[in-house]
Amino acid sequence: MTNTQVPNTQDPNAQVPAVRSRPATPPPAVAVRPSVRDRGTRLLAALFLAPTVVGIVVFTVVPIIGSLVLSLFHWNVIDPPRFAGGANYRTTFTDSTVLVSFRNTLLFMVLAVALQLLIALSLALALNARMPVWLRSLFRSAFFFPLVLSAASISVVMKYLFNQDFGVVNWLIGLVGVAPVPWLTSEHAAMATVILVYVWQQFGFSFLLFVGGLNNIPKEIHEAAALDGATGLRKHLGITLPLLSPTLLVASVVGIINALQVFEQPYVLTDGGPGDATRTVVMVIYERAFEQLDFGEASAVGVLLFALIMAVTALQFRLSRRFVHYQ
Amino acid sequence: MTDSHLPRRTLLRYGAYGAGAAALAGTAASWDRLTGADIPGRDDGSLVVATLGSAFDPATVDALTKGFHQLHPDIPLRVNAVQAVDWSDFFAKILTQIAAGTAPDLVYVATEGVQLFAQKLGVSLDRWVRRDAAELREYFADVHPSLVESMMYEGHLYQLPMEFNAADIYLNKQVLKRAGADFPAADWSRDDFTALLREMKRAGDAHFTPYFWTNRLWGGVVPWLFANGTNLLKESKAPGGSWLWDTFYPAADRQGRGGGFRWTTPQATADRVEEAYDYLASLVQENLCSRPEGGNGSNLVGVFSTGRVGVTPAGGFWAGGLQLAGMRAADYDVQYFPRWRTQRHQFGAAGYALLRTSKKQEAAWEFIKYAARKDTMTRLFQSNQTTPARRSMLNAARYAESGPAHWRVFYDTLDRFPDTGPIPAPPQVAEVTDVLLKYTGTALASPRAVGPALRRMQGDLEQAMEREI
Repeated sequence: MTNTQVPNTQDPNAQVPAVRSRPATPPPAVAVRPSVRDRGTRLLAALFLAPTVVGIVVFTVVPIIGSLVLSLFHWNVIDPPRFAGGANYRTTFTDSTVLVSFRNTLLFMVLAVALQLLIALSLALALNARMPVWLRSLFRSAFFFPLVLSAASISVVMKYLFNQDFGVVNWLIGLVGVAPVPWLTSEHAAMATVILVYVWQQFGFSFLLFVGGLNNIPKEIHEAAALDGATGLRKHLGITLPLLSPTLLVASVVGIINALQVFEQPYVLTDGGPGDATRTVVMVIYERAFEQLDFGEASAVGVLLFALIMAVTALQFRLSRRFVHYQ
Repeated sequence: MTDSHLPRRTLLRYGAYGAGAAALAGTAASWDRLTGADIPGRDDGSLVVATLGSAFDPATVDALTKGFHQLHPDIPLRVNAVQAVDWSDFFAKILTQIAAGTAPDLVYVATEGVQLFAQKLGVSLDRWVRRDAAELREYFADVHPSLVESMMYEGHLYQLPMEFNAADIYLNKQVLKRAGADFPAADWSRDDFTALLREMKRAGDAHFTPYFWTNRLWGGVVPWLFANGTNLLKESKAPGGSWLWDTFYPAADRQGRGGGFRWTTPQATADRVEEAYDYLASLVQENLCSRPEGGNGSNLVGVFSTGRVGVTPAGGFWAGGLQLAGMRAADYDVQYFPRWRTQRHQFGAAGYALLRTSKKQEAAWEFIKYAARKDTMTRLFQSNQTTPARRSMLNAARYAESGPAHWRVFYDTLDRFPDTGPIPAPPQVAEVTDVLLKYTGTALASPRAVGPALRRMQGDLEQAMEREI
């Protein structure tokens, strides 16, 4: 006789014990060993995964730990590192340039990602309409093309185009009587120009994701909605967007991580100016490390940027539980 | 039957996989491939000389190495041409090499890095200069003492200057003709300069910019500070250096020389500094000059040669560039920078710095001496991409094709204005430069921004100068 209570399955009001007691006799100890085939598959999987895991450990995990350690030291490359405790972090929090760079980067992230997603989604929806295949392919290639070009090269060309005195853009708007715009030399216009150049280059990635996402939405759902009388905008808001939400999540996560690490465009176009108007966090890291030989402070700023990226990404995934719908 | 028994077929299959993997690994291991050891001169005990990639063309580098090999067949030499956008980028790459444990023995360093390298990385050349004084007497007699003084730090000499560039003014003669203006006199004033810009603007179209300048340490706002008798950082001279002056220079030339420049206290809020900024701001507001961020040195030759710019500050290095851009010697000319309270000019110089980490310091010194010889420098500076530090190399034949007509201005800047000095470049030069560029942009971005921008510049400069490198 055991003290095990067996619930009365006939009585719906019968209470199920909160804690189950151990069975009187343990099950026979049968060792379940993986088959040779299973072990072989696991080995093969491990072999295929190994290069990536090694790559991530060597090129991501170790540098992250290295930066974390370095942020606690003063190091100028030339002399041996000296322990600094939290001094680099204290300097970082009181350095107006660093604080402004974080503000700029967050502003850049919000505006650039929003614009990038909006343009990419609009163009993907437009391209989803009926049109000849060759034209669709042409548009896809054209929108994706800037992404395969070097950001630095594009920025050099754009610097010429947006030059206030000799640029083609001001020459063109001058033809219709508009006064020259200080695209890169005004505190207000410079950030907008940098965002414009960045979005032009980057939206192709989100665009391709959206094209793929739209293709995955079953036609039957739209047909059923049409039978129920749903029209264009209603269909997009009620069906397309909810079903595209996983793609939107991926595009926004990647977009935000990229935007928080922006460097080439503001570095080449404006060198962070005028003043600090377009100085971003990664630019500050570069300047502190390679121009001012302060690798400790550069690492401290890098660690803070890493924390910011992690926090923003975690927040996105947290919020995604409420807004992302899977079929 | 349990799973622990290995079926024969499975055993054979995994055996085959293993053999295949071993064969692949063996093939990969035995395959001929490039490694770091295949790079010519790498780790072979060569004397490694790092130069700014664009400074010398491959033929010049070839001539340099062959000539040195003939003189010193026992010293293998490798010239490492580091590609970089500017001096700051170049130093960053050299420091990366040092951090990676592949430091060169010698580095071509310009004024921007002289004190940084001297303080942190360099070896003073004093003992070798003293030892080989007889051999070097001819060199020093040919090189202006101002250039040598700019290579000294706290009483010691760290480099032999090879080249320099003072900020003189280039004028497009087509633009002068269009404006009906005469070529300015050597002692022209700041007001003459402004009047000339206005005449040029009147005669030009909407896309014409009379005065084009770039926002950088050399040739930006600093020439105007010098002309107004001031500087960004309070300037003084270190004691010492008499061992060199007394040995190589006559009394008249060593008058007032010291042990190198000291740039210490920031003075961005000084009246004369603000006055210089106010003047530049007025030029910007009158559309007589390019804005600080608009000025980009890389397209300057193009816009000047096509007549879209009237005047610009540049050194001897521009003569070669303009010739390449298709300008004839008669199309442009050069004059001294205009006078304000003074007519003191600014310059930047460059030479080879010997690194402390070098294990071949004697061989490196031999290279420094070899590079500073007149025949070597003549081979190095064939086209007019810079101003050679040796006075005797500036002659009519050199500028016969490329111009300009007033080529004597390049070296005479040093002779005519003996107080002409190097751009302010303390060991904290990178941060000082960043602060200067940043607040120059802010100061000239909008009307009445000069005062607040300079006050913030002063604060940041004080912080920068207190920072330990």
